[in-house]
Amino acid sequence: MDRMEIRDRIVIAMLPHAGFDGWGEQALAAALADADLSQDMATRVFPGGMREIVGHWSSHSDRRMAEEMAARHLEPMRIRDRAALAIRVRLEVNLEHREAVRRALAFVALPQNAEVGVRCTYDTVTAMWYAAGDTSSDYTFYTRRALLAAVYGAAILYWLDDESEDYDDTWSFISRRMEDVMKIPDLQSRLTSAVEGFVSPLNGRMRRRFRTSWPD
Amino acid sequence: MVSDETPTSGRLPGDLNKAQLIDRIIRVDQAGEYGAVRIYKGQLSVLGRTPAGGAIRRMAVQEREHLAKFNELVPQRRVRPTVLQPLWHVAGFALGASTALLGPRGAMACTVAVEEVIDEHYAKQIEQLGDDESELRGICERFRQDELEHRETGLQHGAEDAPGYKALTGAIKAGSRLAIWLSERV
Repeated sequence: MDRMEIRDRIVIAMLPHAGFDGWGEQALAAALADADLSQDMATRVFPGGMREIVGHWSSHSDRRMAEEMAARHLEPMRIRDRAALAIRVRLEVNLEHREAVRRALAFVALPQNAEVGVRCTYDTVTAMWYAAGDTSSDYTFYTRRALLAAVYGAAILYWLDDESEDYDDTWSFISRRMEDVMKIPDLQSRLTSAVEGFVSPLNGRMRRRFRTSWPD
Repeated sequence: MVSDETPTSGRLPGDLNKAQLIDRIIRVDQAGEYGAVRIYKGQLSVLGRTPAGGAIRRMAVQEREHLAKFNELVPQRRVRPTVLQPLWHVAGFALGASTALLGPRGAMACTVAVEEVIDEHYAKQIEQLGDDESELRGICERFRQDELEHRETGLQHGAEDAPGYKALTGAIKAGSRLAIWLSERV
Protein backbone atom coordinates (compact mmCIF):
# COMPACT_ATOMS: atom_id res chain seq x y z
CA MET A 1 0.00 0.00 0.00
CA ASP A 2 1.55 3.31 -0.98
CA ARG A 3 1.51 6.52 0.97
CA MET A 4 -1.40 8.03 -0.94
CA GLU A 5 -3.60 4.97 -0.34
CA ILE A 6 -2.90 5.02 3.39
CA ARG A 7 -3.72 8.71 3.53
CA ASP A 8 -7.01 8.10 1.69
CA ARG A 9 -7.87 5.18 3.97
CA ILE A 10 -7.31 7.13 7.17
CA VAL A 11 -9.43 10.02 5.96
CA ILE A 12 -12.29 7.79 4.88
CA ALA A 13 -12.20 5.94 8.21
CA MET A 14 -12.31 9.30 9.99
CA LEU A 15 -15.59 10.44 8.45
CA PRO A 16 -18.15 8.59 10.61
CA HIS A 17 -16.24 9.44 13.78
CA ALA A 18 -15.52 13.07 12.91
CA GLY A 19 -19.26 13.64 12.57
CA PHE A 20 -19.68 12.78 16.26
CA ASP A 21 -16.41 13.69 17.91
CA GLY A 22 -15.15 16.44 15.62
CA TRP A 23 -11.80 16.48 13.80
CA GLY A 24 -9.58 15.60 16.75
CA GLU A 25 -7.44 12.92 18.39
CA GLN A 26 -10.42 10.91 19.63
CA ALA A 27 -11.89 10.48 16.17
CA LEU A 28 -8.44 9.69 14.77
CA ALA A 29 -7.85 6.94 17.35
CA ALA A 30 -11.22 5.36 16.55
CA ALA A 31 -10.56 5.61 12.81
CA LEU A 32 -7.13 4.00 13.14
CA ALA A 33 -8.65 1.13 15.12
CA ASP A 34 -11.29 0.63 12.37
CA ALA A 35 -8.70 0.75 9.59
CA ASP A 36 -6.28 -1.46 11.51
CA LEU A 37 -3.48 1.09 11.30
CA SER A 38 -1.09 2.29 13.98
CA GLN A 39 -0.68 5.76 15.42
CA ASP A 40 2.90 5.69 14.14
CA MET A 41 1.65 5.12 10.62
CA ALA A 42 -0.72 8.06 10.94
CA THR A 43 2.11 10.29 12.15
CA ARG A 44 4.29 9.13 9.30
CA VAL A 45 1.82 9.82 6.48
CA PHE A 46 0.40 12.97 8.09
CA PRO A 47 3.36 14.72 9.73
CA GLY A 48 1.30 17.92 9.74
CA GLY A 49 -1.23 16.38 12.10
CA MET A 50 -4.95 17.06 12.08
CA ARG A 51 -4.61 20.09 9.79
CA GLU A 52 -3.05 17.91 7.14
CA ILE A 53 -5.73 15.26 7.59
CA VAL A 54 -8.53 17.78 7.08
CA GLY A 55 -6.64 19.21 4.09
CA HIS A 56 -6.26 15.76 2.60
CA TRP A 57 -9.96 15.05 2.98
CA SER A 58 -10.66 18.19 0.97
CA SER A 59 -8.27 17.26 -1.82
CA HIS A 60 -9.59 13.69 -1.81
CA SER A 61 -13.09 15.06 -2.31
CA ASP A 62 -11.80 17.38 -5.06
CA ARG A 63 -10.37 14.38 -6.89
CA ARG A 64 -13.66 12.51 -6.66
CA MET A 65 -15.53 15.58 -7.88
CA ALA A 66 -13.17 15.85 -10.88
CA GLU A 67 -13.63 12.16 -11.72
CA GLU A 68 -17.40 12.48 -11.57
CA MET A 69 -17.36 15.65 -13.71
CA ALA A 70 -15.16 13.94 -16.29
CA ALA A 71 -17.80 11.22 -16.61
CA ARG A 72 -20.59 13.74 -17.28
CA HIS A 73 -21.61 15.03 -20.69
CA LEU A 74 -20.69 18.70 -20.32
CA GLU A 75 -20.33 19.89 -23.94
CA PRO A 76 -23.85 21.26 -24.45
CA MET A 77 -23.82 23.08 -21.10
CA ARG A 78 -23.02 26.75 -20.59
CA ILE A 79 -19.89 27.36 -18.52
CA ARG A 80 -21.87 28.79 -15.59
CA ASP A 81 -24.06 25.68 -15.52
CA ARG A 82 -20.99 23.48 -15.50
CA ALA A 83 -19.57 25.45 -12.57
CA ALA A 84 -22.88 25.14 -10.74
CA LEU A 85 -22.84 21.41 -11.44
CA ALA A 86 -19.29 21.19 -10.07
CA ILE A 87 -20.45 22.70 -6.78
CA ARG A 88 -23.33 20.27 -6.63
CA VAL A 89 -21.13 17.27 -7.42
CA ARG A 90 -18.59 18.42 -4.83
CA LEU A 91 -21.31 18.51 -2.17
CA GLU A 92 -22.73 15.18 -3.32
CA VAL A 93 -19.34 13.52 -2.78
CA ASN A 94 -19.90 13.94 0.95
CA LEU A 95 -23.68 13.78 1.01
CA GLU A 96 -23.60 11.02 3.63
CA HIS A 97 -21.18 12.94 5.80
CA ARG A 98 -22.96 16.20 6.43
CA GLU A 99 -21.98 16.21 10.10
CA ALA A 100 -18.31 15.65 9.26
CA VAL A 101 -18.50 18.66 6.94
CA ARG A 102 -20.09 20.73 9.71
CA ARG A 103 -17.34 19.73 12.14
CA ALA A 104 -14.63 20.46 9.52
CA LEU A 105 -16.01 23.99 9.16
CA ALA A 106 -15.79 24.35 12.93
CA PHE A 107 -12.20 23.10 12.73
CA VAL A 108 -11.04 25.58 10.06
CA ALA A 109 -12.90 28.39 11.86
CA LEU A 110 -10.26 28.24 14.61
CA PRO A 111 -7.66 30.95 14.02
CA GLN A 112 -4.72 28.52 14.09
CA ASN A 113 -6.37 26.48 11.32
CA ALA A 114 -7.52 29.38 9.16
CA GLU A 115 -4.76 28.82 6.61
CA VAL A 116 -5.97 25.28 5.93
CA GLY A 117 -9.45 26.61 5.25
CA VAL A 118 -8.23 29.23 2.81
CA ARG A 119 -5.91 26.84 0.99
CA CYS A 120 -8.55 24.12 0.71
CA THR A 121 -11.11 26.59 -0.60
CA TYR A 122 -8.68 27.85 -3.22
CA ASP A 123 -7.75 24.32 -4.31
CA THR A 124 -11.37 23.26 -4.41
CA VAL A 125 -12.62 26.14 -6.55
CA THR A 126 -9.58 25.71 -8.81
CA ALA A 127 -10.41 22.03 -9.24
CA MET A 128 -14.04 22.99 -9.95
CA TRP A 129 -13.13 25.48 -12.69
CA TYR A 130 -10.76 23.04 -14.35
CA ALA A 131 -13.42 20.33 -14.15
CA ALA A 132 -15.86 22.79 -15.73
CA GLY A 133 -13.43 23.30 -18.62
CA ASP A 134 -12.42 26.86 -17.79
CA THR A 135 -9.53 28.13 -19.92
CA SER A 136 -9.14 31.64 -18.51
CA SER A 137 -5.55 32.81 -18.72
CA ASP A 138 -5.83 36.39 -17.49
CA TYR A 139 -6.82 38.11 -14.25
CA THR A 140 -10.33 36.62 -14.58
CA PHE A 141 -8.65 33.40 -13.39
CA TYR A 142 -8.76 34.98 -9.93
CA THR A 143 -12.08 36.78 -10.12
CA ARG A 144 -13.72 33.56 -11.24
CA ARG A 145 -12.21 31.67 -8.34
CA ALA A 146 -13.18 34.37 -5.87
CA LEU A 147 -16.74 34.39 -7.14
CA LEU A 148 -17.04 30.63 -7.13
CA ALA A 149 -15.57 30.50 -3.61
CA ALA A 150 -18.32 32.85 -2.48
CA VAL A 151 -21.04 30.74 -4.08
CA TYR A 152 -19.51 27.49 -2.84
CA GLY A 153 -19.16 28.80 0.72
CA ALA A 154 -22.74 30.03 0.77
CA ALA A 155 -23.91 26.73 -0.75
CA ILE A 156 -22.23 24.68 2.01
CA LEU A 157 -23.88 26.75 4.73
CA TYR A 158 -27.25 26.53 2.99
CA TRP A 159 -26.90 22.77 2.53
CA LEU A 160 -25.93 22.15 6.17
CA ASP A 161 -29.36 23.38 7.27
CA ASP A 162 -31.33 22.23 4.24
CA GLU A 163 -34.32 20.09 5.26
CA SER A 164 -35.83 19.80 1.75
CA GLU A 165 -36.23 16.48 0.02
CA ASP A 166 -33.04 15.40 -1.79
CA TYR A 167 -31.66 18.87 -0.97
CA ASP A 168 -33.61 20.37 -3.87
CA ASP A 169 -33.52 23.78 -2.21
CA THR A 170 -29.71 23.73 -2.16
CA TRP A 171 -29.45 22.91 -5.87
CA SER A 172 -31.76 25.75 -6.84
CA PHE A 173 -29.94 28.05 -4.41
CA ILE A 174 -26.69 27.31 -6.28
CA SER A 175 -28.27 28.08 -9.66
CA ARG A 176 -29.64 31.41 -8.42
CA ARG A 177 -26.29 32.44 -6.95
CA MET A 178 -24.46 31.52 -10.18
CA GLU A 179 -26.78 33.79 -12.15
CA ASP A 180 -25.84 36.64 -9.78
CA VAL A 181 -22.13 35.93 -10.20
CA MET A 182 -22.35 36.30 -13.96
CA LYS A 183 -23.53 39.89 -13.67
CA ILE A 184 -20.12 41.18 -12.54
CA PRO A 185 -19.10 44.04 -14.84
CA ASP A 186 -15.85 43.88 -16.75
CA LEU A 187 -13.47 46.10 -14.82
CA GLN A 188 -10.60 45.70 -17.24
CA SER A 189 -12.43 46.96 -20.28
CA ARG A 190 -13.26 50.14 -18.39
CA LEU A 191 -9.62 50.51 -17.36
CA THR A 192 -8.49 50.06 -20.96
CA SER A 193 -10.69 52.78 -22.33
CA ALA A 194 -9.67 55.14 -19.51
CA VAL A 195 -5.92 54.74 -20.16
CA GLU A 196 -6.07 54.72 -23.93
CA GLY A 197 -8.47 57.63 -24.03
CA PHE A 198 -5.89 59.60 -22.11
CA VAL A 199 -3.08 59.06 -24.61
CA SER A 200 -4.86 59.08 -27.94
CA PRO A 201 -5.41 62.88 -28.20
CA LEU A 202 -1.64 63.16 -28.68
CA ASN A 203 -1.79 60.96 -31.71
CA GLY A 204 -2.45 63.81 -34.11
CA ARG A 205 0.36 65.96 -32.74
CA MET A 206 2.92 63.17 -32.93
CA ARG A 207 1.87 62.40 -36.47
CA ARG A 208 2.55 65.96 -37.54
CA ARG A 209 5.86 66.05 -35.73
CA PHE A 210 7.32 62.85 -37.13
CA ARG A 211 5.71 62.82 -40.53
CA THR A 212 8.88 63.44 -42.50
CA SER A 213 11.84 62.21 -40.48
CA TRP A 214 11.32 58.47 -40.47
CA PRO A 215 13.04 55.67 -42.40
CA ASP A 216 10.43 52.94 -42.49
CA MET B 1 1.52 19.59 -0.21
CA VAL B 2 3.07 16.29 -1.25
CA SER B 3 6.27 16.64 -3.25
CA ASP B 4 6.76 13.30 -4.92
CA GLU B 5 7.86 14.70 -8.28
CA THR B 6 11.08 13.44 -9.71
CA PRO B 7 13.73 16.14 -9.57
CA THR B 8 15.25 17.43 -12.79
CA SER B 9 18.83 16.43 -13.37
CA GLY B 10 21.51 18.53 -11.72
CA ARG B 11 19.08 19.82 -9.15
CA LEU B 12 20.55 21.18 -5.92
CA PRO B 13 18.84 21.42 -2.54
CA GLY B 14 16.76 24.57 -2.45
CA ASP B 15 16.24 24.60 -6.21
CA LEU B 16 12.75 24.42 -7.60
CA ASN B 17 11.31 21.02 -8.44
CA LYS B 18 10.21 20.44 -11.99
CA ALA B 19 6.55 21.32 -11.50
CA GLN B 20 7.49 24.59 -9.81
CA LEU B 21 9.96 25.40 -12.56
CA ILE B 22 7.41 24.85 -15.35
CA ASP B 23 4.87 26.82 -13.34
CA ARG B 24 7.18 29.80 -13.09
CA ILE B 25 8.39 29.65 -16.69
CA ILE B 26 4.93 29.61 -18.21
CA ARG B 27 3.61 32.25 -15.83
CA VAL B 28 6.44 34.72 -16.39
CA ASP B 29 6.56 34.16 -20.16
CA GLN B 30 2.86 34.78 -20.49
CA ALA B 31 3.22 37.93 -18.40
CA GLY B 32 6.20 39.03 -20.52
CA GLU B 33 4.42 38.58 -23.81
CA TYR B 34 1.38 40.31 -22.39
CA GLY B 35 3.58 43.23 -21.33
CA ALA B 36 5.17 43.33 -24.79
CA VAL B 37 1.77 43.45 -26.49
CA ARG B 38 0.81 46.33 -24.22
CA ILE B 39 4.08 48.21 -24.84
CA TYR B 40 3.63 48.05 -28.62
CA LYS B 41 0.02 49.04 -28.23
CA GLY B 42 1.15 52.07 -26.21
CA GLN B 43 3.71 52.97 -28.87
CA LEU B 44 1.15 52.63 -31.63
CA SER B 45 -1.32 54.85 -29.81
CA VAL B 46 1.23 57.65 -30.22
CA LEU B 47 3.12 56.70 -33.38
CA GLY B 48 0.52 54.53 -35.07
CA ARG B 49 -0.05 56.89 -37.95
CA THR B 50 3.56 58.02 -38.35
CA PRO B 51 5.98 56.30 -40.74
CA ALA B 52 7.32 54.33 -37.75
CA GLY B 53 3.92 52.66 -37.39
CA GLY B 54 4.62 49.95 -39.96
CA ALA B 55 7.68 48.52 -38.25
CA ILE B 56 6.06 48.66 -34.81
CA ARG B 57 2.92 47.05 -36.12
CA ARG B 58 4.86 44.13 -37.60
CA MET B 59 6.55 43.48 -34.25
CA ALA B 60 3.23 43.83 -32.41
CA VAL B 61 1.69 41.12 -34.61
CA GLN B 62 4.43 38.67 -33.60
CA GLU B 63 4.04 39.50 -29.91
CA ARG B 64 0.34 38.82 -30.17
CA GLU B 65 1.09 35.40 -31.64
CA HIS B 66 3.49 34.66 -28.79
CA LEU B 67 0.90 35.73 -26.24
CA ALA B 68 -1.76 33.57 -27.88
CA LYS B 69 0.54 30.55 -27.52
CA PHE B 70 1.12 31.15 -23.81
CA ASN B 71 -2.57 31.89 -23.25
CA GLU B 72 -3.13 28.37 -24.55
CA LEU B 73 -0.41 26.83 -22.38
CA VAL B 74 -1.63 28.43 -19.12
CA PRO B 75 -4.84 26.39 -18.79
CA GLN B 76 -3.32 23.40 -20.60
CA ARG B 77 -0.50 23.05 -18.08
CA ARG B 78 -2.73 24.25 -15.22
CA VAL B 79 -0.52 27.19 -14.42
CA ARG B 80 -1.86 30.05 -12.38
CA PRO B 81 -1.47 33.31 -14.35
CA THR B 82 0.22 36.24 -12.63
CA VAL B 83 -1.89 38.28 -10.25
CA LEU B 84 -0.14 41.39 -11.55
CA GLN B 85 -1.65 41.24 -15.02
CA PRO B 86 -3.84 44.35 -14.52
CA LEU B 87 -0.66 46.17 -13.46
CA TRP B 88 1.25 45.07 -16.61
CA HIS B 89 -1.80 46.07 -18.60
CA VAL B 90 -1.43 49.68 -17.50
CA ALA B 91 2.37 49.78 -16.96
CA GLY B 92 3.18 48.23 -20.34
CA PHE B 93 0.94 50.65 -22.17
CA ALA B 94 2.33 53.59 -20.19
CA LEU B 95 5.93 52.57 -20.93
CA GLY B 96 5.20 52.22 -24.64
CA ALA B 97 3.31 55.49 -24.87
CA SER B 98 5.78 57.52 -22.79
CA THR B 99 8.88 56.38 -24.71
CA ALA B 100 7.02 56.98 -27.97
CA LEU B 101 6.38 60.52 -26.81
CA LEU B 102 10.18 61.03 -26.87
CA GLY B 103 9.92 60.29 -30.55
CA PRO B 104 10.25 57.18 -32.72
CA ARG B 105 13.87 56.72 -31.64
CA GLY B 106 12.80 56.72 -27.99
CA ALA B 107 10.27 54.02 -28.80
CA MET B 108 12.94 51.99 -30.56
CA ALA B 109 15.33 52.41 -27.62
CA CYS B 110 12.59 51.02 -25.39
CA THR B 111 12.20 48.06 -27.75
CA VAL B 112 15.95 47.38 -27.71
CA ALA B 113 16.10 47.52 -23.90
CA VAL B 114 13.09 45.26 -23.36
CA GLU B 115 14.08 42.75 -26.01
CA GLU B 116 17.61 42.47 -24.65
CA VAL B 117 16.29 41.54 -21.22
CA ILE B 118 13.83 39.09 -22.73
CA ASP B 119 16.60 37.51 -24.79
CA GLU B 120 18.68 36.85 -21.65
CA HIS B 121 15.59 35.58 -19.91
CA TYR B 122 14.60 33.11 -22.65
CA ALA B 123 18.23 31.95 -22.88
CA LYS B 124 18.22 31.12 -19.17
CA GLN B 125 14.97 29.17 -19.47
CA ILE B 126 16.17 27.20 -22.49
CA GLU B 127 19.14 26.15 -20.39
CA GLN B 128 16.89 25.06 -17.50
CA LEU B 129 14.47 23.02 -19.59
CA GLY B 130 15.40 19.38 -20.09
CA ASP B 131 14.68 17.04 -22.99
CA ASP B 132 11.40 15.96 -21.41
CA GLU B 133 10.16 19.49 -22.06
CA SER B 134 11.41 19.76 -25.62
CA GLU B 135 8.12 21.24 -26.86
CA LEU B 136 8.21 24.12 -24.40
CA ARG B 137 11.91 24.58 -25.02
CA GLY B 138 11.26 24.75 -28.75
CA ILE B 139 8.67 27.46 -28.21
CA CYS B 140 11.10 29.47 -26.10
CA GLU B 141 13.81 29.09 -28.74
CA ARG B 142 11.51 30.18 -31.56
CA PHE B 143 10.22 33.19 -29.64
CA ARG B 144 13.73 34.17 -28.61
CA GLN B 145 14.71 34.43 -32.29
CA ASP B 146 11.75 36.76 -32.91
CA GLU B 147 12.71 38.93 -29.95
CA LEU B 148 16.29 39.19 -31.23
CA GLU B 149 14.94 40.34 -34.59
CA HIS B 150 12.92 43.02 -32.84
CA ARG B 151 16.08 44.21 -31.16
CA GLU B 152 17.79 44.40 -34.57
CA THR B 153 14.83 46.34 -35.96
CA GLY B 154 15.13 48.77 -33.08
CA LEU B 155 18.84 49.32 -33.70
CA GLN B 156 18.33 49.75 -37.45
CA HIS B 157 15.76 52.43 -36.76
CA GLY B 158 18.23 54.53 -34.80
CA ALA B 159 17.50 53.47 -31.24
CA GLU B 160 20.97 54.47 -30.16
CA ASP B 161 20.36 58.06 -31.28
CA ALA B 162 17.50 58.40 -28.83
CA PRO B 163 17.87 61.19 -26.26
CA GLY B 164 19.67 59.80 -23.20
CA TYR B 165 19.94 56.31 -24.71
CA LYS B 166 22.14 54.83 -21.96
CA ALA B 167 20.09 56.15 -19.05
CA LEU B 168 16.80 55.35 -20.74
CA THR B 169 17.63 51.75 -21.63
CA GLY B 170 19.29 51.23 -18.23
CA ALA B 171 16.11 52.28 -16.45
CA ILE B 172 13.87 50.20 -18.71
CA LYS B 173 16.08 47.14 -18.30
CA ALA B 174 16.02 47.43 -14.52
CA GLY B 175 12.22 47.78 -14.63
CA SER B 176 11.87 44.78 -16.94
CA ARG B 177 14.02 42.61 -14.66
CA LEU B 178 11.92 43.61 -11.68
CA ALA B 179 8.79 42.76 -13.66
CA ILE B 180 10.22 39.32 -14.49
CA TRP B 181 11.17 38.66 -10.88
CA LEU B 182 7.69 39.60 -9.70
CA SER B 183 5.79 37.73 -12.41
CA GLU B 184 7.65 34.49 -11.69
CA ARG B 185 6.48 34.64 -8.10
CA VAL B 186 3.13 36.40 -7.94
